[in-house]
Amino acid sequence: MTTGYAPLLESLTRLRGIRGAMVVSAEDGLVVAESLMGGIKGPSLAAMAASLTSRASELAVKAGLGAPRFLHLQAADGSLLVAPASSDLVLVAVAARDVPLGLLRLEMLRMAERLV
Amino acid sequence: MRAIEPWVLGPLRTFVAESSARIALLMTTSGQVVAQHGFTGALDLMAAAALGSGIVASGSELAMEMDWPPFRVVAHQGERQSHLLAWFDTPRGRWIALIVFGNETKLGLVQVFFDRMVDELVSAAPPEASQRREVLAADFERELNTSLRALFGR
Amino acid sequence: MTEDIRALSAQFAADPSSLVFLRLGEALRHRGQAEAALKVALAGLSRYPHLPDAHDLYARVLADRQDYATAFDEWDTVLRLSPHHVGAHKGIGFLYYRAGEPEQALYHLRIAAELDPADAGLRTAVERVAGGREIWETPLPEAPPPPKVESTAPVGGAGDPFVGLEGAHERLLLVDQDGLRLGGGLVGPGGRDVSDVVAAVLASTTREAGRAARLLEMGEWNHLTVEGAEVGACLLNPTADTSLLATMGAGLPAGQLAYFAERAAKAARGWLERAR
Repeated sequence: MTTGYAPLLESLTRLRGIRGAMVVSAEDGLVVAESLMGGIKGPSLAAMAASLTSRASELAVKAGLGAPRFLHLQAADGSLLVAPASSDLVLVAVAARDVPLGLLRLEMLRMAERLV
Repeated sequence: MRAIEPWVLGPLRTFVAESSARIALLMTTSGQVVAQHGFTGALDLMAAAALGSGIVASGSELAMEMDWPPFRVVAHQGERQSHLLAWFDTPRGRWIALIVFGNETKLGLVQVFFDRMVDELVSAAPPEASQRREVLAADFERELNTSLRALFGR
Repeated sequence: MTEDIRALSAQFAADPSSLVFLRLGEALRHRGQAEAALKVALAGLSRYPHLPDAHDLYARVLADRQDYATAFDEWDTVLRLSPHHVGAHKGIGFLYYRAGEPEQALYHLRIAAELDPADAGLRTAVERVAGGREIWETPLPEAPPPPKVESTAPVGGAGDPFVGLEGAHERLLLVDQDGLRLGGGLVGPGGRDVSDVVAAVLASTTREAGRAARLLEMGEWNHLTVEGAEVGACLLNPTADTSLLATMGAGLPAGQLAYFAERAAKAARGWLERAR
């Protein structure tokens, strides 16, 4: 794991209900740094998060929303949250159900600004 | 999509659908084509297969020189198109995959679904005599090159 | 009024199959007892599913609750059962007016006024919608065409899936699995119509959301919200073969966006069921 991102990911994974967090290369969908609970497949998470972000970004630009700053995929068993950073990296988190999404969103937006 | 053995088709089809790969070529380490998908008309398949297996062999030699584990995957990123070259072991021996993909997908996605395809191929491979397999591979290549010549006048 | 409601309630309790539920429901509506009115309307409708007045009462209760999409469906049902039902023409006229479709509104309100010439309030409403132009001397036109869709014609039944919903033509988009627009519209910055451009990528984006949820073993996906600097969007599948996009200003509470999208999805499902 790229040690530079370790403190950032650890502060995210300390939040209640977070099952994993990672920094992903937006272009390739490859893992840059990760902190994941057992059972979460890092490469799959990275690839899908990057792919979904690309699709959503294309739609957002076409719809006039501009480049997205936060994505939230809500599913039956949890959520996938993505905060694109300006440097072609995205911050990704996987959350269980019933987590304080508002707090998590604010934390991720703050952390995404710090990604270099 | 064509394969010398039908059990390859299912996993290959799933891989192509999920990864959005433009071209997928599976071959043995001696350069014999096992299966192919995509608009391969612009490729000299025999040459691509031979070169691909050569690159994998060279990479393994280089890793040995450096006392590293053998490189399993080589990815080249181009401006409009990229490719991934990887070897994997099946009950039929070691195969090599050449995957060509564009900007509509991502390297990470290609790798994730490639790994799944390998698992599915390993599970799906039925036992069969190696002698018969080599004969089929030769027949397939002849038929493929005949079709290519007919289509593209080569 | 209280005595009326008591008496009507007693009659209804004594004979639930009587038509007194129509008067009771209306009395409860006027008294602002929305929940009770709803229960009475639904009870009556369950016994008289083909009675136009039962659907009319239910539609008015729904309109009180601002469930305009379902109210429209109910009034539409009334008109299919009874094409000259004054209440349904008034109700649908009101919904079209609210949705910013004055020609459609005028058509229905004029029919209602022709059917009930003694209703002075109705005549006033017609004149207001007509915007001061001379209307009573002109013959009643044929039904105006459905609201014009700029580029791709909607597939499926006539009408607008989002009629009555705020932003039906600027902030709500419904597409099929091939990326073809079924209804609604999307207006981008500067008032530009971006409906078809967005429609073309909406279906593939929702498919990707479903794929992500599946491959990451997160169960069935509910919705995807995309937050821009100024505007947010929520994407979901009202049915397995359609996709919906709803947008809202970023200044509004984030939770409202998903709620707004869910309401629109419900309206879309109703419209699709009728169309199919």
